[in-house]
Amino acid sequence: MEHSFIIHSEKDVERVASEAVPFLKEHKVVAFYGDMGVGKTTFIKGVCKVLGVEDPVTSPSFAIVNEYEGNDNQVIFHFDFYRLKDVSEVFDMGYEDYFFSDHICLIEWPEKIASVLPDDRLDAYLSENEDGSRNLKIKSAV
Amino acid sequence: MNPIILGIESSCDDTSAAIIKGDIILSNVVAGQKVHEEYGGVVPELASRAHQQNIIPVVHKAMKDAGVKSGDVSAVAFTRGPGLMGSLLVGTSFAKGFALALDIPLIEVNHLQAHVLAHFIQEPDQKHEVPEFPFLCLLVSGGNSQIVLVHDFLHMEIIGQTIDDAAGEAFDKCAKVIGLPYPGGPLIDKLAQEGDPEAFEFSKPRIANFDYSFSGLKTSFLYFLRDNVKKDPDFIERHKNDLCASLQKTIVDILMDKLIAAAKKTGIKEIALAGGVSANSGLRQAFMEGEEKYGWNIYIPKFGYTTDNAAMIAITGLFKYQKKEFVGQEVAPFARMAL
Repeated sequence: MEHSFIIHSEKDVERVASEAVPFLKEHKVVAFYGDMGVGKTTFIKGVCKVLGVEDPVTSPSFAIVNEYEGNDNQVIFHFDFYRLKDVSEVFDMGYEDYFFSDHICLIEWPEKIASVLPDDRLDAYLSENEDGSRNLKIKSAV
Repeated sequence: MNPIILGIESSCDDTSAAIIKGDIILSNVVAGQKVHEEYGGVVPELASRAHQQNIIPVVHKAMKDAGVKSGDVSAVAFTRGPGLMGSLLVGTSFAKGFALALDIPLIEVNHLQAHVLAHFIQEPDQKHEVPEFPFLCLLVSGGNSQIVLVHDFLHMEIIGQTIDDAAGEAFDKCAKVIGLPYPGGPLIDKLAQEGDPEAFEFSKPRIANFDYSFSGLKTSFLYFLRDNVKKDPDFIERHKNDLCASLQKTIVDILMDKLIAAAKKTGIKEIALAGGVSANSGLRQAFMEGEEKYGWNIYIPKFGYTTDNAAMIAITGLFKYQKKEFVGQEVAPFARMAL
């Protein structure tokens, strides 16, 4: 499975997010790849909005993980592993409890923990086009 | 007789213990974790391990410095959240064990509320002025940027907050982009002293109400550098001080604009600053100008009470002690806790 979307502007994020959400829900764990400033947090905000999250969705860079509640009391975990240097550092935070919880896990900077990412995840690649729009490509990891 | 409260803080990277008697601070011990600097941030595993190693020595030293024995302690207050789960667990478990062993009340404290109440910590030798209710508090740290309307010690509401990144995060991430080591905020402040704050202009967010946004600034800073480095590979090196000064001015302007608007809208002139970013000289200066420009009465706590510390947990514990707001042994830490 592989799909591509063009996000024309920040206002367009929610439209693309609503198209991508069914695929995200299927996989539960979603790894977002892309350079700093490309809009990973912004896209995740859009996804959370579509999922019915009412709390503010903010960058978890400091907290490492944020927890939100969406429609029908579904729990959404939002990670940012930007600060991690080594994969061994996620063991003590009990990452298994999150990744295998059957809740939706949206992960920024998954490169930092590549070896412990579940195989049945969805990979999402965000990149910037020449005209400033963004490209989103999603595909099953395996 | 004034109660003696032991405060415990372990929400993020520092382990801290403090003793207060009434509102007078007797000791405040913070064990920082040097380990995180070489990792470019707070590292969950290392953080919780270091807390486990630090907690007993830190409490021991706080009691010794205060000249207090465990039998003298009236209650123990601890940070329940928000913070890193692994780190919070260490302080919470210690506090529960301590309260159970001595059969004294256990008090849960919200870390954000404690940052605001740090203003009420008094020193043994001299009393200082404290804000009158209601007051506004601008709380800025690595993980927070919010404007809090404080009605009373235990009754406060957030009237504005960041919708994406915190101000401290904007400092630290932009610092990393220009090659400064962690934590970048203080270094930007230092280099900014030598630079021209008007050298470059970065876009400011247009956000409704009293909310903040720093994500766009981070992106525009990044793209601005990328475009200029294309033309001149040494651009960052040659303009480092001006970049820091201009970036700092932009962040401070964003913070102050909303605070000024909130003060106008509410008509409140008692204005306080809290959180670790209050150490930033640019922010302090802009904040202090409010005294003359807008007739504010301003309050800035001692630096040691603005970063993560247990003194603020202890003082919050005192106000809850007076109201008998205690919790039982079933209490568990909570990573995401609103005010």
